[in-house]
Order: sequence, then C-alpha cells, then structure tokens
Amino acid sequence: MKLDDRTYRAAAREAAEARFARAVAACLDEGAGQLSPDVAERLRFGRQKALELARRGRDETVGVTASGAAIAGVGQSRWWLRFASVLPLIALVGGLVLIQNWQTRTQISVAAEIDEALLGDDLPINAYRDPGFAEFLKAPPSE
Amino acid sequence: MATEKELSDFLKSVEKRAWKRAVYAVRDEDAALDIVQDTMIRLAEKYADRPAAELPLLFQRILSNATMDWFRRQKVKSQVVRNFSEYEAPGADSDFDILDTLEALGGPLQSESAAESVSRAQILQTIEAEVAQLPPRQREAFLLRYWEELDVAETAASMGCSEGSVKTHCSRAVHALAKALKAKGITS
Repeated sequence: MKLDDRTYRAAAREAAEARFARAVAACLDEGAGQLSPDVAERLRFGRQKALELARRGRDETVGVTASGAAIAGVGQSRWWLRFASVLPLIALVGGLVLIQNWQTRTQISVAAEIDEALLGDDLPINAYRDPGFAEFLKAPPSE
Repeated sequence: MATEKELSDFLKSVEKRAWKRAVYAVRDEDAALDIVQDTMIRLAEKYADRPAAELPLLFQRILSNATMDWFRRQKVKSQVVRNFSEYEAPGADSDFDILDTLEALGGPLQSESAAESVSRAQILQTIEAEVAQLPPRQREAFLLRYWEELDVAETAASMGCSEGSVKTHCSRAVHALAKALKAKGITS
C-alpha cells in the first residue's frame, strides 16, 4: 500500500514536471517568435544558402548518374566513377614497374656482353690480375 | 529521401529555436547565427538525401557538434566541460516543495502581478534568462526534451549520454527553473 502511494506520488511529480516544462517551452516558443528582423533575415539567408547547396548536390548526383549510365550503359555510375578516378594512378604504377623492369634487363644484358667478351678473348682472364701485365698495358708501346 | 520542400520546411521550423539554443550556449548572437548557418549547411550538404523523419535528430547532433566546435575555436572548451558537477543544481532541494510549486506553475506562466506591473515581454525575458543560466548539460537536456520534443532515447543519443542521465538532467533543470521563477514572482 505504501509502495503504491510512493509510485503514485512519483508519477504525479513526473507529470507535474512535464506540465511545467511544457509551459516553459511554450514561453520559449513565444520568445523565439519575436526575433528581430535582422536575425530573422540572416537566418533566412543561411537557410537559402543551405538549400542552394543541397540543390547543387542533388543536381551533381543526377548529372553523374546520367553521364555514368551513358558511358557504361548501366546505372552503377558511382562504381565507374571511382574506377575512372583511380585509373591514372594504376597507369602510373604500371609504367614505373615497366621502366624498372626494362632497366634491370638492360643492366643484365650489358654485364652479359662484358662477361662474354672477357671469356671469349684469347687472353686468359687471370692475366688482368697480374701486376706485370697491368704495367705492360700502362706502358707506352715500344718501337 | 527528403524533398527540397521538406528540407526547407524543416529548416524553417527549427532555425529560430536553434538560434536561441545557440545563444544560450555561447552567449553571443552573431556567433550563434554562424553556428546555426553552419549547422544548416552541414545538414544540407551531407544529409539532404536522408529521409525527412531523420532530419530532426541529425540536426540536433550537428548543432551540438557545431557549438562544441565553436568552443574549441574559442579555446574555452575546457571551461565549459571541465567539471559538470560544478554546474549541477544544489543538492536535494530539501527545503523546497517542488510538487507544490510545479502544480502552481503548471499552467500558462505569468507574473503574480502581471496586470499591474510586468509586461509579457519581460516575463518571457526573465524565463529566457533563467533558462540561459541553467548548467549547460541540464539546459541541453531540458531544451532537447521539452522544446525540441525529442523523446528520452533521442535526447540521450543526441547528447551522447544514458537515458537515466537525461531524466536526471531534465528533472534538475525543471526544479531549478521552478525555484528561480517562483523567486522572481512568476507563477500561475
């Protein structure tokens, strides 16, 4: 019985709080309705600007969708747009890999040519390690 | 997806209250205008494709964030959020019978001697001043719950706190307002 009484009092208190809060909110509403013309105008300007941006965003979405559909023949324009935007990057990375490959192959082929010339020559390769032969090469040719 | 008219009507319906709330928070009319304009633009730019029913909660969240951004820019955020306990209403109001006061104030608010001395505009001003003096979290909860008419769950989501905290903040705000307004002679 005591609990019921407490529950009842809590509910009554909550209802009274809500009534009071709504009365205050009604007063705040009344106050907000009496804004100065300058503030109201600036709010209107802000709203118009926001709506303009929203309109532009919608137009862009529609434009992209239409152009994407025209290119791809399907409505999945965003996927194609994303793919198209990363395409140059993919091409750049691919190009760099190809250049690197080409340079490595060139270096290998130059080294192979030198090796081939050295190994195919009549002069034994150990001769280049002989200090006397090095001196002989540096010395001016004698008559 | 909200139509342009729905978005326009929504912004129109909410802009004045939003500005007032921002003024209560930052106490600077020009800054409040910037905050509301920023909020409307962010909503229109990022969420214009959302259903109209989602706009109120999104708007409130963006407004709260924009207000906090303003405080960050002013480098006084730490003062605002440093310790909410400092701003809480005093204790249990043990010497104050809130129920009686609430019953008395439950109807349309007016001055005890309104007809004689105090104009309606002054009453509204007093009420606004008392709302502005509430601790920030209490004021936010009170305004979202009763002025913006969000339910407890929506208010909690917007404020980033629990539903219990919302109820506590609202109750304390109501008590503080009732006490302050009664002290100024504003009753039914």
